Amino acid sequence: MPDLIMSQICKKYGSVTAVENANLTFETGKLTALLGPSGCGKTTLLRMIAGLEVPTFGDIILAGESIVSKSAEQRKFGMVFQSFALFPHLNVQRNVSYSLRISGVDAAMRRAKAQELLDLVQLGDKGERKIGQLSGGQRQRVAIARALAQEPEVFLLDEPMSALDAQLRGDLQMQLRLLQQKLGITTIVVTHDQREAMTMADQIVVMSHGRIEQIGSPQEIYHKPANSFVANFIGNANLLDGVATATGIRVGETDIAVSDRDEFGAGQRVTLFCRPEAVTLHDTPAKNALPGTVTFVRDEGPIREIHLTTPAGDITAEIPGSFEETVKIDDKLHAILPENLLHLLPERAHDQNEAAR
Amino acid sequence: MGRAEPAAFVTRLGRSAFVAVILILCVTPFLLVFAISFGEKIEGAAWAWGFEFTNYKRFFVGADYPNTTSLLYLKFLWFSLYYAMFASILAVATSFPFVWLMTRQSRRAQTCWLVFFLASLTLSEVFVVMGWDILLSNRSGLPALFKEIGITTWLKESGWLDVLRTWGIASPRNVRFKPTEFATILTMSYLVWPYAVILLYPPLSKINNELIEAARTMGAGPVTVVRTIVLPMVRKPLVGTTLLLFVFLLGTYVTIAVFAAPDKSTLSISVYEAVRGATLNAPFGSAQAIILLITAAIILVLGRIAFLPDEGRR
Repeated sequence: MPDLIMSQICKKYGSVTAVENANLTFETGKLTALLGPSGCGKTTLLRMIAGLEVPTFGDIILAGESIVSKSAEQRKFGMVFQSFALFPHLNVQRNVSYSLRISGVDAAMRRAKAQELLDLVQLGDKGERKIGQLSGGQRQRVAIARALAQEPEVFLLDEPMSALDAQLRGDLQMQLRLLQQKLGITTIVVTHDQREAMTMADQIVVMSHGRIEQIGSPQEIYHKPANSFVANFIGNANLLDGVATATGIRVGETDIAVSDRDEFGAGQRVTLFCRPEAVTLHDTPAKNALPGTVTFVRDEGPIREIHLTTPAGDITAEIPGSFEETVKIDDKLHAILPENLLHLLPERAHDQNEAAR
Repeated sequence: MGRAEPAAFVTRLGRSAFVAVILILCVTPFLLVFAISFGEKIEGAAWAWGFEFTNYKRFFVGADYPNTTSLLYLKFLWFSLYYAMFASILAVATSFPFVWLMTRQSRRAQTCWLVFFLASLTLSEVFVVMGWDILLSNRSGLPALFKEIGITTWLKESGWLDVLRTWGIASPRNVRFKPTEFATILTMSYLVWPYAVILLYPPLSKINNELIEAARTMGAGPVTVVRTIVLPMVRKPLVGTTLLLFVFLLGTYVTIAVFAAPDKSTLSISVYEAVRGATLNAPFGSAQAIILLITAAIILVLGRIAFLPDEGRR
């Protein structure tokens, strides 16, 4: 089955632009996560794929054929909603076999297919239960089974874990990923949880204010963000404003060497990006070091987060957690930024940076 | 203890007062009617208290039983039920698609419609019936209009007038709506239409749009969505609304008086005739009212058992 392609998709509600010029290719059999903060247009994008919203401009192509004029009922892409949208008047088995019933499949085949799917999501013994008798996690799995019953070409999930507690969410993310890999179905998940996206996706699409900020693999998005918004939205990031030099960047009064600085010419205003786990702390000065004072220590068990104020700006470092208190508030330390783990990004817009938080 | 006792006394007093008010306002009139139904009419005068079943016997088999048997009042009871049942079903059946489409509109549009229907409730039955009386009148209403613009001629030539005659809504010369069961049921259903809208609006507006969208992504078109999702979800409100309108319509008076043929009259007309009208027989009128009330109660219970089995068990 050829890929699903979105070409120059725009969606406007009056004067508000929800999605702006989205060009995306969803590879067959892969799981793509649409990731971004609330109101960034990711759900609108998903709804346009499902046929529940009509794009103001652009085309959606599946198997070489435009499907943009097809209604949701013609596309029949299986979709799991944020609220799961299970039919309260039908039991679990009838919910799962709903699409088969309305398409005229006979009762015996419907029951067999529903049972097969319920077994797949480990709810084989819950077929006769009412929806109200299920837990949140069970409801989510029924919604997945129901969406898969019609064997859709594309499987869509709109924030499927947001109503679940953290422990359950972690388990179900793994289960959903395994199920998707087993079925090899093209899957698109909307989420605002970067951990969820990193856990499940082959490809992540980061969105902000209706625009696509970056498309890439989880590793690419995490280690080589395209801009400061992506850097900040995915995990923690140290971002320092400065001016590009021949060898790196000048932040405050300190020159920092950066290996990967091809795109920017000397004198250009840029933002230095470094992950907290890449920063090391030393008592003595060294190359690529920023002197600073410890302002806050957050002990998270396996790691310890150290916040420093330096002349170039605030820096966060992550060091392995230990029983002993190795760093204290007001300690004077040097934050070493390793040359090969630094990246220069286009100068950040500070309001955009705030929006990501 | 000293403080608790006066507080408990006040609570008890309040409850007793509440029960007393309910008894006085609701139960006493019913008990009075019930007691009067066993009374005796005195010719040339009013009536006297008593305890005899003459009025009930007259209702079921006629006053002259066993010499002759009359089922006149049972026939009135039948027409009371018949009109009320069809008019309530018609009102709910026609208001349901309207309310469903209304709930799919913007909040502003929904509010405008609801205000309109609430405002229409201020129209009295007399006013509504007068309007329909003019509209369906043989000389000045739709029949006259049909004749004027040639529809009557077309109906005659195409043979449809004969079909309408078999349905009881045409004479050999033109369509005729008065007096007919059609006009009676139509007007009765119009009377309760705003109530049907207002009663069906809350359950239909509460249906989560994601349920509809979920069904659509599984291949359900608009009709299938309504048939397989919306209707089953609002089954209880639909039955409840129908039963409520049915009971409400059992007491319709003006519509029956204007549109129903005398031989197809109802108990509400007969009760009025007995209590305030020509016959002046309050005990018999009371007996008819009691029988109508008991019949309505039986139908409500049967309706709940038949259509709302879960509710019936609670």
